[in-house]
Amino acid sequence: MAGPSSTPQLDQLPPEMLDFTLLKTAGALAPRLGRFALPGRKPILTPGFLSNTSRGVVPHISQDNFRRNPAFNGVYVALEDFVEKFPQKTPPIFEYDVPETLRRFIALPKDSPIILGARRSPPIPSPVANTNTEVGLLTSVGFRSISSEYYAAAVRKLQPDIVVGLADIPFGQESVGLKRKDKMSDRTETWTRDIIAKRNTLDSEDPKFSIFAPILPIERDLQSWYLDHLVDDMLDKIQGIAIYDAYIMEDLPDELHPFPRLSFHNPSSPHDLLRQINLGIDLFTIPFINTATDSGIALNFTFPSPQKVFDASSTRQSLGIDMWHASLATDVTPLSENCPCDACTKHHKAYIQHLLSAKEMLGWVLIQMHNHAVLTSFFTTIRASISAGTFEEDIKAFEAYYEPQLPEKTGQGPRLRGYQFKSESHAEKGKKNPKAFRKLGEEEVRALQEEAARRKEKKDVVDDEAMVGLVGMDGVDGNVAVNALPGEGVDGLEMADDTPEKI
Amino acid sequence: MAPVHIPSALSFELLGKCSVTKARAATLHLPHGTVPLPIFMPVATQASLKGLTPEQLEETGCKLCLNNTYHLGLKPGQATLDAVGGAHKFQSWPHNILTDSGGFQMVSLLKLAKITEEGVRFLSPHDGSPMLLTPEHSIALQNSIGSDIIMQLDDVLVTTSPDLARMKEAMERSVRWLDRCIQAHKYPERQNLFCIIQGGLDLELRRQCTAEMVARDTPGIAIGGLSGGEAKDAYCKVVDTCTGLLPEKKPRYVMGVGYPEDLVVSVALGADMFDCVWPTRTARFGNAITAHGVLNLRNAMYSTDFGPIEEGCTCSCCRSVEDGGLGITRAYIYHVTAKETAGAHLLTMHNVQYQLNLMKSIREAILEDRYPKFLKEFFGKLYDAKSQYPEWAVTALKGVGVDLME
Repeated sequence: MAGPSSTPQLDQLPPEMLDFTLLKTAGALAPRLGRFALPGRKPILTPGFLSNTSRGVVPHISQDNFRRNPAFNGVYVALEDFVEKFPQKTPPIFEYDVPETLRRFIALPKDSPIILGARRSPPIPSPVANTNTEVGLLTSVGFRSISSEYYAAAVRKLQPDIVVGLADIPFGQESVGLKRKDKMSDRTETWTRDIIAKRNTLDSEDPKFSIFAPILPIERDLQSWYLDHLVDDMLDKIQGIAIYDAYIMEDLPDELHPFPRLSFHNPSSPHDLLRQINLGIDLFTIPFINTATDSGIALNFTFPSPQKVFDASSTRQSLGIDMWHASLATDVTPLSENCPCDACTKHHKAYIQHLLSAKEMLGWVLIQMHNHAVLTSFFTTIRASISAGTFEEDIKAFEAYYEPQLPEKTGQGPRLRGYQFKSESHAEKGKKNPKAFRKLGEEEVRALQEEAARRKEKKDVVDDEAMVGLVGMDGVDGNVAVNALPGEGVDGLEMADDTPEKI
Repeated sequence: MAPVHIPSALSFELLGKCSVTKARAATLHLPHGTVPLPIFMPVATQASLKGLTPEQLEETGCKLCLNNTYHLGLKPGQATLDAVGGAHKFQSWPHNILTDSGGFQMVSLLKLAKITEEGVRFLSPHDGSPMLLTPEHSIALQNSIGSDIIMQLDDVLVTTSPDLARMKEAMERSVRWLDRCIQAHKYPERQNLFCIIQGGLDLELRRQCTAEMVARDTPGIAIGGLSGGEAKDAYCKVVDTCTGLLPEKKPRYVMGVGYPEDLVVSVALGADMFDCVWPTRTARFGNAITAHGVLNLRNAMYSTDFGPIEEGCTCSCCRSVEDGGLGITRAYIYHVTAKETAGAHLLTMHNVQYQLNLMKSIREAILEDRYPKFLKEFFGKLYDAKSQYPEWAVTALKGVGVDLME
């Protein structure tokens, strides 16, 4: 099993390790094609992407749908989603006594690669500052910190295919002082050595995880000690690198070029992805897929763009369709023409628009499937374009054809959870989740009646428009106050206490 | 109005009867395929079963689900349903759909609703203007939905209402409204209209209503107005009384029933079809239905329980990886429930499949004429001791020849 072709030391690695083959490269700062293969897992062709998970699941995609759908393969998982009980209690997952604990716990198929990192992608800034030995996390019950030793032990127990080394990055901090940057580099080096040391303690029959060393989002000379040591001491110990700022790639030591590059530089748009690919990034987690899904936006773009428009004055096409839009209510066409996903081949815009406006969870399920399919074909055609040598040109056409950013969110997303936003104490910024239903007060009802009386015309049919108001008037769940009655509440995922009768 | 004969778009094939209780096993042939009876129908209120795709719903074994006319009338609305070509096409569901009349939601959701002979009169909370839902309008909506089984608009009253005169009025009005529904029904050759027997908990009223409804000869018959918080004893008496008067060759649907023990007892009392939101609704709160009772998987005791949701369950969540399933553990459900929508999807699949499996094993037991034994085993599993058996179930089953206590 060969490692990167120019680093023969990797030949001695045990067979569990990652095999990354560069198929086409034009030197530094250029797009490249590769094949990323782990024994027993489906290979990932690069440039490519991993599905971002939340609490072990691609948001809205239950594990059976994940298996059913070819757009899903590798996943990125964050340890912070599993350790909220630490340190008061052993996090439950560590008590699961099976091989490949993480994979079994999150019910991921056998052949899907898992990359584990400490933080979600993107991480929510933690007010718990990193220290020489600890990294601040955000869990569903609050901020925590874990030590480098704890992280290494967790990785050993969970057995991901690949682990991203701990990086000392003060997320959310606008400007970072010189001294702090020095510390970032020192700590990251120590922590990278820790995880390597941990792997060295594994028994020979233990499955070995691959290690991706973080490259810090700071200038090269401020992390040159770390990078030099990486090259001198650790080159045969790491299997890839994690990039937090795609624009420092030009400073990357040559020795690191053969390694696969996973980007945590959060891309804001497809254009941003193209720019990063153009700098030589191989693998992505793409947070905007899920942001778009939660906003009810069905991505709708192809690469190369359908037409090569270079006329800057013509109107640019939108990168996605806001499925909340009422004009789609009778549109029986698929989300995107020729899209092979289930949402497009089995359903239509009218249904998906209905699901969103009725706040049915299936709306997000279908859009999420679709959005992953759109990105899957985006990457397929990007690889074809790089292979054909037309990438630069195709990017230009893409930029000319599409708007630079995804459409703004207009509709309401699913309920936000504590681990999805930063809570700010003392800051009364209003509710993250609007109140689902409210009752009209007697006065409001009276006012409505009076108003109706003024309007002489009398309707005697039930029209849809008027009935819409019913939902606002009272919880649609009202009818199930008595549990066992036909008609189900509309709220997607209620939090209130159900009081099941003892059966 | 004189009864009119209406055509039927179903055929009811009675396959077996329990030799002790009133339980029956049958096959119901509907426009979108065949369904086994007795059956539990999950409720896809707004043309979607709580996060599941039609394929996932199909995988639980479901061949007949509910949509709510009231909700579909709101969203997407009749015009859209007409434009798209009905609810099957709208939600890409190739199997059968049953819709209610919308009247129940009107009354239960809308405190200002007033029932008149014309229909359900209410003030639109949208603009306060007077609105009216008539039997004709309900049927027109259901014709647009295109459901395989449609329900008459009925005058629904809380069963526990003490006002006997009003109860009698509601019952008689429901009969008159059935006649209007039959008149208004445009597609009797492809949609089956079911009548709904009303009459509260008064057995005499129920008898009269049953006689009137049966005379109208609808393809199927529902017993309505129950499951509204009445005593279970009274519920059982009503079901028992009605089924005793119903023709053998027609499906009997008891509306709004879904707790497992209600299902097994109601089948013993001669009912065939049931629906309830409880299994899917309770799934979203982290509650798993099992043969040994309901488990609230949000309880911290499950955070390190790495067994399946229910040992031996054949749903895709519970089956092990080795067995081609997902191998979902209780601990994982604990980890995601109420946090990720997918957690709700997983438990919804399990709960729906539990209900359908329960009905399947009921059917097998009836066909093999061992339903009394099945009932004893069922209660034996659900409770630790006979002393815990609910009295109403013991009494109701004794009435049809099964003594759980022996």
